[in-house]
Amino acid sequence: MMRNDPIKHVFIWPAVLVVLAISIFPLIYSLTTSFLSYRLIPPIPPRVVWLGNYATLLQEPRFWSALFTTTLIAFIAVGLQYAIGFGVALALNARVPGERLFRVALLLPMLLAPVAVALVARMMFNPTMGPLNQFLSKFGLVNLPFLTNGHWALACIIAVEVWQWTPFVILMMLAGLQTLPEDVYEAAELENASAWQQFWGITFPMMLPISAAVVFIRLIESYKIMDTVFVMTGGGPGVDTETLTLFAYQEGFKKFNLGYTSALSFLFLIAITIIGVTYLALLRPHLEKRR
Amino acid sequence: MSGQGLTGLPQWSRRLVAVGVLAWCLITVFPLYWVVVTAFKTPPGVVGGPTYLPFIDFTPTLQPFIDLYQGIRGEFFRTFLNSTIVGLSAAAIATAIGAMAAYALVRFEFKVRLGAGLVFFLLALGGYLLFNATFGFTRSQALLLAFPIALIAAVVANRLPLPGPILGNEDILFWFVSQRMFPPIVTAFALYLLYSEIGRLGFQLIDSYVGLTLCYVAFSLPIVVWLMRDFFEAIPIEVEEAAMVDNVPSWRIFIGIVVPMSMNGLLATFMITLAFVWNEFLFALFLTNSRWQTLPILVAGQNSQRGDEWWAISAAALVAIVPMMIMAGLLSRMMRSGLLLGAIK
Repeated sequence: MMRNDPIKHVFIWPAVLVVLAISIFPLIYSLTTSFLSYRLIPPIPPRVVWLGNYATLLQEPRFWSALFTTTLIAFIAVGLQYAIGFGVALALNARVPGERLFRVALLLPMLLAPVAVALVARMMFNPTMGPLNQFLSKFGLVNLPFLTNGHWALACIIAVEVWQWTPFVILMMLAGLQTLPEDVYEAAELENASAWQQFWGITFPMMLPISAAVVFIRLIESYKIMDTVFVMTGGGPGVDTETLTLFAYQEGFKKFNLGYTSALSFLFLIAITIIGVTYLALLRPHLEKRR
Repeated sequence: MSGQGLTGLPQWSRRLVAVGVLAWCLITVFPLYWVVVTAFKTPPGVVGGPTYLPFIDFTPTLQPFIDLYQGIRGEFFRTFLNSTIVGLSAAAIATAIGAMAAYALVRFEFKVRLGAGLVFFLLALGGYLLFNATFGFTRSQALLLAFPIALIAAVVANRLPLPGPILGNEDILFWFVSQRMFPPIVTAFALYLLYSEIGRLGFQLIDSYVGLTLCYVAFSLPIVVWLMRDFFEAIPIEVEEAAMVDNVPSWRIFIGIVVPMSMNGLLATFMITLAFVWNEFLFALFLTNSRWQTLPILVAGQNSQRGDEWWAISAAALVAIVPMMIMAGLLSRMMRSGLLLGAIK
């Protein structure tokens, strides 16, 4: 039952006001700035260039390479997180021996500061003093260029992302698995369905809505990646691992190119919106069919 | 719950699955073990190659932590304090006002006309441009003037019979949660410009407690509202109805009945928000420079300042990590009661 009491305004307005003031207002501010040519160093008075910043950006190869790098990291990392996370969640749900012990350990990484995790990763991936180097040198692979070669560095960043965020997938999928009705499985047992058939015929389709939500959240969050890359490679070598947020930071905070950076962040927003809407549109028919 | 997936498997493949989970667990734990060990090593112990077991492979020392405390590698003590103060207060404020908003969205009916929303946006944007370009106010003055005007106009417009769809509680909730989708760089950079312009009016927000906390409150609110709504929906409404029959005012129902009943949820939400603020990097990077620097910034600066001094870097990373490790232990206890179950529906 919904009540209607004037006091409801007292309840909701503080939150609305804070969000309006801190997130909508800067948005308006940077939207208008993105149409200006405006630099602080060297100081040039603002001049209206309309879509000029956007046009420059779309012709800038560095923008496209940052967009590509971010997309690559996000999609590969989330794919691996989902595969590993779902697998571990299934195992935990089936009461694998020692399951209780695993739970705390499995939860840990997602609560740790990405900056600290990235520092730890730098130690692990150190080509001379790191434990990974020692382990691999037993197989004859000595002093691999983990963070100094573009492809290797990208792979390392993806590995760190998978390490840190798979726990989130495990947590969500585990919660989802526990809501599944048991009688369907009992019926399947009577039909002598194999474990493999049960998974693809029952578990996977029934977990599809939750899977969709988890992958969506992770994908959007992965696109924001910045701190891990900032500490691990700083975008290097060259600009091989530069992500969109890092690119915007370099332009805005190092060069103080205000109009350009605002346009860049709006292009980023547009890109995220396109990806989100496409994802939902692609998935909708599947989700509705199963209902 | 045993019927799902594994009972059909023979014994050997059950073992295989267990080994797989164990392998993932080792991958998860090993890097953490590595930081802990490295933090107690001496410089020669690190450079000499990887060693694993304290007292057998190397002799542990407390020197990295003593260096840290004495401020040889940056003012760790004060930064730790900053992080704690900002984290606790931002999480507390966000949980409080977020819970209020979530409760309002669950129990009261709201109607917002889409037209009123448009009025707000157009007036804010137009008013800002008008004040700035025509009347010669500075950019921040123009924004601060346009904001209340647009807000009042939108509230008035909501009473008028404007054409267009009427948005309900679900839409307001979606608006809150969608704030989380925005790439933070969009707002972080704009907020930095806005704060520095307000600073020129004589009210310092950059590198200040108020500025940083306010920003963290705003960016935690979407999560808080989202999580708390599920907890409040799970509370049986009969208790509140009984209180209403006795004419207990709504705010006393909220504080006296609803809050105590959802204490677990509030606590979990508070901890999740605290973790988010504690680990946050981008906003702190833009909005602080010395006095109110937080731990992630100081920790991130470690490797660029002095190169690969892993013993000290490990100790620094450990300071940032350990409070959250303790919280993970606490959270996992609550998780057992299916706490986050509602959040994903």
